[in-house]
Amino acid sequence: MTHYGMAIDLKRCVACHGCTLACKSANNLPDGVRYNNVLTDGGQYMDTARGTYPNDLYRKYYPVSCQHCENPACVKVCPVGATYKDPETGVVRQDSDKCIGCRMCISACPYTGVRSFNWEEPKYSLDFPVGDYDAPQHVKHTVEKCRFCYQRLAKGQTPACMEVCGAMARHWGDLDDPDSEISQLIATREWEQLLPEMGTKPSVYYLI
Amino acid sequence: MVENAKRSRGLVIAGAIGAVLAVIGIVFWMMQLSGGMVQTGMRNLDSWGLYITMFMFFVGLSAGGLIISSIPNAFGMEGFGGISKVAIWTSICCTVAAIGFVVVDLGQPVRLWELFAYSNLGSPLMWDIIVLAVYLILSIVYLVFYMRYEQGKTSHAAIRVISVIALVCAVLVHSVTAWIFGLQQGHEFWYTALLGPWFVSSALVCGTALVMALCIGLRAAGYLALDQAYIVKMAKMLAAFIAVDLYFFGCDLLTSAFPGGSGAEVVDMLVSGPLAPFFWFEVIGCVIALVVCVVPALRRNGLLVGASVLAILGILCKRVQLLVGGFQIPNIPFANVEGPYAITFGGNGVDAAYGQLVYAPAPIEWVVTLGVLGLAVALLCFGLAYLNLKPASSAQA
Ligand code: SF4
Ligand code: SF4
Repeated sequence: MTHYGMAIDLKRCVACHGCTLACKSANNLPDGVRYNNVLTDGGQYMDTARGTYPNDLYRKYYPVSCQHCENPACVKVCPVGATYKDPETGVVRQDSDKCIGCRMCISACPYTGVRSFNWEEPKYSLDFPVGDYDAPQHVKHTVEKCRFCYQRLAKGQTPACMEVCGAMARHWGDLDDPDSEISQLIATREWEQLLPEMGTKPSVYYLI
Repeated sequence: MVENAKRSRGLVIAGAIGAVLAVIGIVFWMMQLSGGMVQTGMRNLDSWGLYITMFMFFVGLSAGGLIISSIPNAFGMEGFGGISKVAIWTSICCTVAAIGFVVVDLGQPVRLWELFAYSNLGSPLMWDIIVLAVYLILSIVYLVFYMRYEQGKTSHAAIRVISVIALVCAVLVHSVTAWIFGLQQGHEFWYTALLGPWFVSSALVCGTALVMALCIGLRAAGYLALDQAYIVKMAKMLAAFIAVDLYFFGCDLLTSAFPGGSGAEVVDMLVSGPLAPFFWFEVIGCVIALVVCVVPALRRNGLLVGASVLAILGILCKRVQLLVGGFQIPNIPFANVEGPYAITFGGNGVDAAYGQLVYAPAPIEWVVTLGVLGLAVALLCFGLAYLNLKPASSAQA
């Protein structure tokens, strides 16, 4: 069995937001919708630092999208199975044709802000679709989130954010295969996961 | 007879006003669907709002009527002077309103049928939909049987059996509604085993208060005759329920605050943070209602109605605390690129967005809410006017 996962090297990430944009274009995301966010663990605004100069001032970033949990809170609560775990790959997928827009999954997911609702008819800044020809459909009043670029995985490619990361901070692979690059990294590097106490068993690791 | 006609004319007029509101509500709901829910105050980080608050509240209100009328029947105790039918009807109207609030909150109501085609029976929301449907049908069956019983067409045993089932179902409906929130480990404020029992106690408070106020009102209007002893009995029950509800609140606050960790944040948010007005209104209002209900000298009709209103509004404030409070403390409070769909009051940094109430309803939500309320009022008034809901004889259970 395959269990896809991602490891993001926080020592390498320079917060260029390239992954966010690659994701937006590959998945043809509507205006205002982002699957991936590069969060600033710092002050009040993006790119502000925490601490005081010259003592302990620092800036730190967490690129966050759906954690593709092994024990996903969102899947359990969806009344119609519109969000579901792919048994072949471990990817938590989303069916925009099924979602009834109850937003139960948004409140169940412990990871603030990884799920987003299309609050109106999707609008695009370009008048032609961009990205993969088989990018997901975006349906008004349904919930969306990162699907680990399932359309790309199906073609043997990696998620779009992987391709574009200039700092090469992102690593991708099969967590079930002990010889994969990602398994090796997790075995040798120090890492943390977001909100492990929630028991969701995320498939995204942050190398620190 | 003339007076009777005038009375039901009053009810019909009130019902008609409700119906007009309901129609206006439907028009605005259509606008919400066509123009998009971006017109509401809800956003990704506070993804539920007034509708789900009102849903919780109305599920609670509906309990009281059913419980008040079924407890005496179920346990063979002396009842409340024949108000059973009015009480059951009230709870049917409230259940309809509760279902209405879920429907207006959905993004894709035309896909509702999927709930039955692709039901995920592991989802608390699915449980709630099933229990609510059963509850509504059961209340209607109960009412029909009760009417037949009064006409001597059904045995008392049958009424007893249905009352017991209705009672179990009423308790279940509240627990399951609580579990929609209480089983979410991601929200510190919601994730507590106490939430189920606490929902039941709050439901008993506002439900009893509603039936008591309604009875005093209908009696003053001459719709039914009711001995003051029954009102006093209800007041005492209300007092007991309020005491239990406040006790639960105290237990929950203590358990959150004592370890001093993230739970203390929850307590701060309620006691002195953005939710403080709702918290203190609930606590003080409920204490006043409690005092009015237990001090014999204060049990005058006007004051009792006032106490009921305070108790009902108190529970409403509690629903607001629960709903907004769940979104008020983010698990990942890091700064982000903002956008039009992120959060209701964004743009001024993390602390500013979370330092005030994270959510406030937009005008369209008020109008749609008014519409659903109108529907309930219309049902209630037309039912009172046209169904035979008056007590059969003076003091029958
Ligand atoms: S991060 Fe949230 S949305 Fe993604 S799988 Fe886990 S619970 Fe579901
Ligand atoms: S909003 Fe859609 S995906 Fe989320 S729980 Fe409801 S039906 Fe499922």
